[in-house]
Amino acid sequence: MKRSKSVKLVAMGTGLLLVAACEEAKVDTALFESVKQCTSLGFTAQECESNFKEAQRNHVNVAPKYTKREDCETDFGAAQCETAPQRTSSGGSVFMPLMAGYMMGSLMSGGRSAGQPLYKSANDRSTFRTGDNKAVAKSTGRTKVGQSATRTASVKTRTISRGGFGAGARSPMRRSFGG
Amino acid sequence: MERIAVEPRDDWRDTADAHGFRFHTIDDERYWDESACYRFSLSEVEDDIEDPSAELEQMCFQVVERALADEAVMKRLGIPEAFWDFIADSWSQQHRNLYGRFDFAYDGNGPAKLFEYNADTPTSLYETAVFQWVWLEQAIERGLIPDGSDQFNSLHEALTGAFANMGMRGILHLACCKESEEDEGTVEYMADCARQGGVETRLIYIEDIGLDTRGNFTDLQDDPITNLFKLYPWEWIMTDDFGKNVPNSSTRFIEPGWKSILSNKGLLPLLWEMFEGHPNLLPAWFDGDSGAAALDGDYVRKPLFSREGANVEIFEGGERTVSVEGDYGAEGHIIQALYPLPNFDGNYPMVGSWMVASQPCGIGIREDTSMVTGNNARFVPHIISE
Repeated sequence: MKRSKSVKLVAMGTGLLLVAACEEAKVDTALFESVKQCTSLGFTAQECESNFKEAQRNHVNVAPKYTKREDCETDFGAAQCETAPQRTSSGGSVFMPLMAGYMMGSLMSGGRSAGQPLYKSANDRSTFRTGDNKAVAKSTGRTKVGQSATRTASVKTRTISRGGFGAGARSPMRRSFGG
Repeated sequence: MERIAVEPRDDWRDTADAHGFRFHTIDDERYWDESACYRFSLSEVEDDIEDPSAELEQMCFQVVERALADEAVMKRLGIPEAFWDFIADSWSQQHRNLYGRFDFAYDGNGPAKLFEYNADTPTSLYETAVFQWVWLEQAIERGLIPDGSDQFNSLHEALTGAFANMGMRGILHLACCKESEEDEGTVEYMADCARQGGVETRLIYIEDIGLDTRGNFTDLQDDPITNLFKLYPWEWIMTDDFGKNVPNSSTRFIEPGWKSILSNKGLLPLLWEMFEGHPNLLPAWFDGDSGAAALDGDYVRKPLFSREGANVEIFEGGERTVSVEGDYGAEGHIIQALYPLPNFDGNYPMVGSWMVASQPCGIGIREDTSMVTGNNARFVPHIISE
């Protein structure tokens, strides 16, 4: 047979992002509010420490950043924000939420060197979330999460300009820009 | 090979809607046309289209090597010097390519002749991979075409497999221009394939891409764009304002930079120079080369970067007989021997042979009522049946 055996479309015409989330594979992991909580669940002190430190290092980079403390507190709650080590280009302060907990890497890979910071938003204090706002779990301990959540959250950056691509498309009378 | 009339499915519009195929009719003109189909024998498909496509791809790789070794060739292709190292790196680091489409003139008699290679931004992907496939299944079921008909079309499986094998790290952003329903449909389909291949995806318009303080590209959430599938030609990227930031950005592009050598019409004279007389090639030269005189006034003149037939001119006996409007040409032209598309009852089909990860995996046919396959071409399905 020279053709595909089946043509399964996950999402065409049905709303793209929601369906993708349902399809994602789950992996085993564990999350904690402290190193002590981690060791009490049977992980070695070394595992717990290294994941915590990794999460702290990542925290500085992946936490959502704000130029006003009140904006941060609107999202994460009163007294739930701290000053980030970064500065704005004009030298102003930058704020980020406090780490509310941390997550081990996928336990399948030994949970090594992929500790991730977790946060809790002001309007949903019961849910731990990653730096890019993926809900992970409502309680500490062992759990299953979507695979993408165990990857270190992408580092937010600061966009200084947009619109530098697309000039070629401004010529008239096209229905497609391919060929 | 023959063109046979087929009764359209009475519910094909509903089926199109159910499958998210929104651009079957464009500007009130029919684009998806199932009132006919092309029938091929298996040997026509395998010996005349599939095998030559695989061979041409290998020949194209030799053209890339040649261009990268010779600055005069890069100049001739109109590729800005600022991108030469970037392109060379994408090749030496073996950045993987995803897809492309060879366009052939073929009528079942004699070898298929290569008109051009859409190696960078080929379109008609979704209708080939999905809607043509659905048509075949339903048309067999309803007795509209012979029982046991097949189709050269494993494009969907090949795409999902290619994404699974790319070893992509991080999120894949997929971008097209605003205000093209057709291109949006294509990137949505591509994103679907990527997700089935285990890749996390996000869609963005080309015009919305941002640049951060470190010279990296960003999306609308200020996340860095690590991998970018762009349905937007390399030659436009190179001349856009952000183009100068591309070589030093951390973004991995699909198609990779080296594809800009192959999506250029200058590929055709380079292939001819290196493989003169190959049965699937038409004689071709850069405009102004002395060899072109051998064509005796019967030739086609194409701008290096032309898309969808724009600015293509046909000369017969030295007289210009066809001329298509457009805004290409300042970059230079090539001359290709005139080889008429076959005429099936007043329809001129172009056979698009799809490559995924450099392997041939299907065909899609677009036919026009003129000899230049342009924006008004209709997509007509095909079957394999003896």
